[in-house]
Amino acid sequence: MTWLVWRQHRAQFYVGAALLAALAVLLLITGLQMASQYHSAIAACTATHSCTNQGGLFLGNRAVGFLVIMTLGTPVLAGLFWGAPLVAAELETGTAQFAWMQSITRRRWLAVKTGWMLLAAAVWGGVISALVTWWSGPNNALHLDAFNPGRFDIMGLVPVAYALFAMALGIAAGALLRRTLPAMAVTLAGFIAVRTVIALWLRPHFMGAVTTTYNLIGGYTPPGSSWQLASGVLNSNGHPVPQVNGVAAFGIPINYLPASCAPLNGGATTIAPSCRTALDSFRGFLTYQPAGRYWAFQAIETGIFVALAAILITVTAVVLLRSDA
Amino acid sequence: MISFRVDSRSVAPPYLQIVQQVKQALRMGLLDVGDRLPAVREVVAATAVNPNTVLKAYRDLEREGLVEARAGLGTFVRNLPPGPPPGTHSRLGRSLARWVRQAREAGLDDESIESLLRVTLRTAAEKEEIA
Amino acid sequence: MTTIVKTRELTKRYRQVTALSDCTVTVPDGRICALIGPNGAGKTTLLRLLAGLARPTAGELAVLGGIPRQDPAFLAEIGFLAQEIPLYKRFTADDHIGIGARLNRRWDAASARDRLRSLNIPLDRAAGSLSGGQRAQLALALTLAKKPRLLLLDEPVAALDPLARRHFLATLAEAVADGALTVVLSSHLLADLERVADHLILLAASRVQLCGDIDALLAEHHVLVGPRKDTTAIEKTRTVVQAVRTARQTTLLVRGNAPVIDPDWESDEVGFEEMVLGYMGQDAPPPIAHLTTVGEDQ
Repeated sequence: MTWLVWRQHRAQFYVGAALLAALAVLLLITGLQMASQYHSAIAACTATHSCTNQGGLFLGNRAVGFLVIMTLGTPVLAGLFWGAPLVAAELETGTAQFAWMQSITRRRWLAVKTGWMLLAAAVWGGVISALVTWWSGPNNALHLDAFNPGRFDIMGLVPVAYALFAMALGIAAGALLRRTLPAMAVTLAGFIAVRTVIALWLRPHFMGAVTTTYNLIGGYTPPGSSWQLASGVLNSNGHPVPQVNGVAAFGIPINYLPASCAPLNGGATTIAPSCRTALDSFRGFLTYQPAGRYWAFQAIETGIFVALAAILITVTAVVLLRSDA
Repeated sequence: MISFRVDSRSVAPPYLQIVQQVKQALRMGLLDVGDRLPAVREVVAATAVNPNTVLKAYRDLEREGLVEARAGLGTFVRNLPPGPPPGTHSRLGRSLARWVRQAREAGLDDESIESLLRVTLRTAAEKEEIA
Repeated sequence: MTTIVKTRELTKRYRQVTALSDCTVTVPDGRICALIGPNGAGKTTLLRLLAGLARPTAGELAVLGGIPRQDPAFLAEIGFLAQEIPLYKRFTADDHIGIGARLNRRWDAASARDRLRSLNIPLDRAAGSLSGGQRAQLALALTLAKKPRLLLLDEPVAALDPLARRHFLATLAEAVADGALTVVLSSHLLADLERVADHLILLAASRVQLCGDIDALLAEHHVLVGPRKDTTAIEKTRTVVQAVRTARQTTLLVRGNAPVIDPDWESDEVGFEEMVLGYMGQDAPPPIAHLTTVGEDQ
């Protein structure tokens, strides 16, 4: 049965392996370049004690950077092209029935096919994640944005879980709909929907966020790669000041402040004493997830998607094994 | 080794066609005592009839004493059917062919030939009764 | 003689639709059983139930002495050929034989290859590029290579040309002649079935109308032709399967061997096609051979 799975998916395997190899070559070459760029920049700024101003440095190549961002979509590819047709195509063409009449039980057929495909999905997600995580090292150190949505999703453990989920979703959709193209559509839509809901609405609440208030003039940035969820300014009553796009200083609309604060909007660095007093009655607030929770969040999100994948596989098994062929 | 033809459109059921074809082959001298009839499997492969049909035909022939089944070896011809010796059919067939040629040249069509044959057979039968 | 298939009041319902109702049949060992019936009569359903591809809603079913189940030992004894002849389009015949060897316990690759070679079917061409007849023969060769005890075929020759059909049926009959194989084969082609089958299951309206040895069934049926008159007396002693009444003549297809005493009735043997059509429904045309000139409807 394993041999049959191999023979059926040999071509897909080669394509996948080739894509991974191409990505690996690209990221290895550019990653090494970026790493050396980064280390020389650090060496240079350490000498001049100006390392805090390196946030604007851009490492590497814009095209490659874009490609790395696009790896957001690679998990769903596994579900679309390997997962959706796995059961659906065989049901459509009747080859499933052919296999079931070859002295192989449906349970074994499904278990072997699904097992290998889930493994392939995990490898696919894992290799890409490993490459991207390694490649992003210098950028992460520079920009401290690893915890942010868009970066969080392409590094660490979660891409493996996404790929497993996409694969399971594809297989389940194929088993339920029994047609490849509708299954692909459902897989794509379902993956996007679930990922969006979890990333936007659930992830910020995995753990209670930390809110800190701080003196505006001093400013405050949480250490490391934290995930800033909300920020703003509170007035003396503790109410948030509305954020406007217009003229503002330290995040406060200029009409809330005395005239002495007006030069601040133009980029002045000295603050008039009357302005300073006015500013003291406001406090900045920041709601964020501390950098130390990064791996906890990775683990939680991984757990969620792996659990979803398990549920989908169970549904697939029930649908295929309990009903008539 | 003879081969069989089973015609779905024929009035005779398949097993009877096989029996008749074996007897015809014996009369024509195509099969002789001691020859092996085609194996059931071969007949079935050639004619796509049910194996039991062939078995039934061979059993009928065995009951008539014309063939005998030898376990593991096949079915063999045991006796010739009663009647003129083989070769008679071929000989008479040839002279009949000559007569048919003459009849055609004289202008008789197949239907006329057949009805002439029927009348002749009937007259001959009547003559035998009288004699 | 063992019974390979035995069902009792087998019923299969799909939501609102009853595909098969109270089906009681037996198929003895070593037979080629024709499964006949109009479309939608339940032929495919019955075959799938026998193969274990579907589960019955009610009734009992014994195949090879047991209930069809998901078990390699049982699956090894059954061959099923679906109407669509599913094969892996990109795989060659050799690939298919290789797959079979790996998935099945018993596998006779050599006989499959011999069979295909003798039919001039290329072993190294993708199945998707073979003709319909070649695919059917490949599927049959694969099914036979696992040496099943029971072969279930769902209209396997429907799409084949006459020569391909002849070869297919010959291959099938040959395999039965080799021994230890029973076949149940559904088809609409009565001439083919008459030739190759010796057992019959006839379904109509999701029910079994006839089941038995073909020669025995033909011996039990007669066509009675007579003037148009009351048929109650006849109906008392035998089953009237189909009655065709014109203005002056009555033609009855009857089952039963009681002798006909009434001299008005002429009794005739019935042919296979006539008998089958008689059971398949009142819409079937009356036996042409018995519409004599006397009393023919204008």
